[in-house]
Amino acid sequence: MPRPKILLVDDDPDLLRALRLRLRANNYEVTTASDGYSAIASAQKERPSLIILDLGLPVGDGFVVLDRLQNIDALSGVPVIVLSARDPQANEERALRAGAAAFFQKPADNDELMNVIQVSLGPGSAQRAAWPS
Amino acid sequence: MDHQTTNVLLIEDNPGDADLVRLRLVEGQSPVNVSCVNRLSDGLASLTRETPSVVLLDLNLPDSHGAETFRRVMEHAPNVPVVVLSGQDDEVLAMKAVHNGVQDYLVKGNISSKNLERAIRYAVERQGLLRALEITQKQQLEFKNRFLSHVSHELRTPLTCIHQYVTLLLDGLAGPMAPEQSDHLKTVLKSVNQLHAMIRDLLEATRAESGKLRVEPRCIAVGELVQQVVAMLRPTADGKRVGLEIALDQRMPLVYADPDRVLEVLINLADNAIKFTPAEGSVMIQASMVEADPGFVYISVTDTGRGIGPEAKALIFERLYQDPDSIDNNRSGLGLGLFICKEIVRLHEGRIWVSSELGQGSTFTFTMPVYSLAKLLSPVVTYEGRLRPAFVLVRVDLMPLSNPPRGNWKESRQQSFEVLRRCVYLDKDLVLPPMGTSGALETFFVLASTDIKRSGIMTTRIREQLERLPDLQTKCTVTITTVPVELPSGNLVEALEQQVQSLAGCVTQMILTNRETKQSRARKSTQHSN
Repeated sequence: MPRPKILLVDDDPDLLRALRLRLRANNYEVTTASDGYSAIASAQKERPSLIILDLGLPVGDGFVVLDRLQNIDALSGVPVIVLSARDPQANEERALRAGAAAFFQKPADNDELMNVIQVSLGPGSAQRAAWPS
Repeated sequence: MDHQTTNVLLIEDNPGDADLVRLRLVEGQSPVNVSCVNRLSDGLASLTRETPSVVLLDLNLPDSHGAETFRRVMEHAPNVPVVVLSGQDDEVLAMKAVHNGVQDYLVKGNISSKNLERAIRYAVERQGLLRALEITQKQQLEFKNRFLSHVSHELRTPLTCIHQYVTLLLDGLAGPMAPEQSDHLKTVLKSVNQLHAMIRDLLEATRAESGKLRVEPRCIAVGELVQQVVAMLRPTADGKRVGLEIALDQRMPLVYADPDRVLEVLINLADNAIKFTPAEGSVMIQASMVEADPGFVYISVTDTGRGIGPEAKALIFERLYQDPDSIDNNRSGLGLGLFICKEIVRLHEGRIWVSSELGQGSTFTFTMPVYSLAKLLSPVVTYEGRLRPAFVLVRVDLMPLSNPPRGNWKESRQQSFEVLRRCVYLDKDLVLPPMGTSGALETFFVLASTDIKRSGIMTTRIREQLERLPDLQTKCTVTITTVPVELPSGNLVEALEQQVQSLAGCVTQMILTNRETKQSRARKSTQHSN
C-alpha cells in the first residue's frame, strides 16, 4: 500500500536529513527541497499529500511559497505545516492567514509534530494511500 | 545659534511684568521674537500650533496656579524648555519646578537683559542635550532588543539540529543504543531543553522590556488552570519526591485574564518551587478570595524549601537576578523567569510578591482581576430603573472536527464572535467576552433579555449567519442551546444594583456548570483522538 508522501522544505541540509529519517521511520514517503523555487517545482511534480515548510528560504521565502501554492489549483488543498525558527508572535498569524494548516516554532516537539501531520492528512492517514492528484 | 531668531512664548498675566520682560528681551544681543499670552489655556493652544524655542512662564495665572501650571505646560510640550518667572516670595516653588524638569527660573524684579538672555540660551542648550541623550538611550534599547531577538532566532537553528539528532538516536531511529549511551544522550537532551527554555525567556524578557508582550484577556476559571499546571508538573514533582497539592476556594469567581499567560506564570512559580524544595517536602498551589480586596483573586504557590533571605526578596523580581545561595542548583536559568512573571501580572493590573523566611519556605502570590459580570450586565438588563422581566442564556458551541483544529482557528473564533455581536440587540442583549482556556473547543454565551419562546428568533438568526461564514462548516460543528435564567423569587423588592448582582450570580453559576459538562465532553473527545 503506498505511503502518504510528504514534501519537506528547509535550507539546512543537516536538519533536512534528520527530519527525513524521522518521517520515514513514521512510515511516510519523503521528498525534499531546500529553496522556495524548487519547493514549488517539486510540489507540482511530486504531488505530495502534505508539505512541511521552513520560512527563511533562499529563492522565494516560505510566504512566497505559501502564496504560490494557494494559487495553483491542484496544490491549494494540500495541507502545509510551517516549521520555522522565527518568532510566532510575528509570523504565526500571518502564516495561517496565508493558508498554512499549523505553525511550529523550532525546535518543535516531535510527538506534537507527528500528531499534527497525522491529523492534517485526515483520519486513518497512516494507512491510507496518498491523496489522489 | 547667535544668528538664529529665538522664538519666545511668554505666558504672563501681569501686563507690567510682561512689558518689562519683553523690553529686556529686545534689549539683548541676539534677535528674538516674542509672543505673549496671559492665560494658560491660550499658552497651551499656542504650543499646539507651533513650537517656540523657549517658554517663559509665570506660575500664577488666572486659569492655573502653582505647580499645576508648569506640570501642564511640560505635559503639553515635553520637548520645549521652560524658564519659570518667579515672584520674590515663591522661590521655593520655583526650585520645585526645577526639580521637576523646568530648565531654570528667574526672580521678577531682578531680571536684566543679560541674565535673561543667558538663562534662555542655557535652557535651550540643556534641553537639547537632554533630548539627544533620550534619543540615544532609546536607540540603544532598541538596538539591544533587536540584537537579542535576532540572536535568539539564530540560536534556534543549530539548537534544532542538535535536538533532532539527539532525539533520533534516543528514539532508536539510527540503530539500537547501549543503556549507558542512552543515559548520556538523555543528559544532552536535558541540557538542550534548558538551553531552549533560556532562549525563550530571553525573547520574552526582551518583549516585556520593549512593551511588546501581548496579553489577550478572556473570562477564565483559575481552578482549571491550576489543575492543568499540576497535571503538567506532576512527573517532575514525583521524580523529586516532592508533594504537589491544590487548595481552591469553593466559590471562586471567574477572572479576566489571558489563560496562556496565567499558565506561564503558574508554571514558572510552581516549577521554581519544586526545584527549591528538598525531597519529602511539598508544594501547594492555592487560589482564594480576600475579603479586603474583592476585585481580585489571589493565587499563591507555597513551598517548604529553604526560603529566601531579605536581600534576595527585594531583588528577586528583577531581571537577571539569581539567588547567590542557590549555586547548588546550577544551571537553573537566566534569572528572567520571575521578571517575566512580574511583567505579565503587571499587564493584567495585578500584583505579585513573595513572603518568605530563611529556613521556613516561601510563598509567591499574585492577583488577577475578577471578571465583573454585574458591571457588564447592568446597562443592558435594566430598563427604566427596573430589571427586565425575562432572560435567556444562549450557548453557542463550536466543536472542531479535528484536534488540533484545521487552519486558522483563532480567526474563525473571532469571526464567530463578531457574528454573534451582529445578531443581538445591543441595548438589551449581551454577548459575553470569549471564555475559557485557549484550547480547541470554543463556547460563547449570550445573555438575551427575552423569554424562551421568543429566543428562537435569535438562535435561528445566529445559526443562519454562522452558516454563511466561509469554511466554518468544514472546521467544526455548531451547537446552539438556550436555557431560561431563573431568578430567585422575592428578588424584585431588592435595590436594582442587588438585582443585577443576583442575576450576574445566577448567570455565572450557569456558565460554570456548563463549563464543567463541556470540559468532560472535551476530555472525552481528546481521549478519543489519542
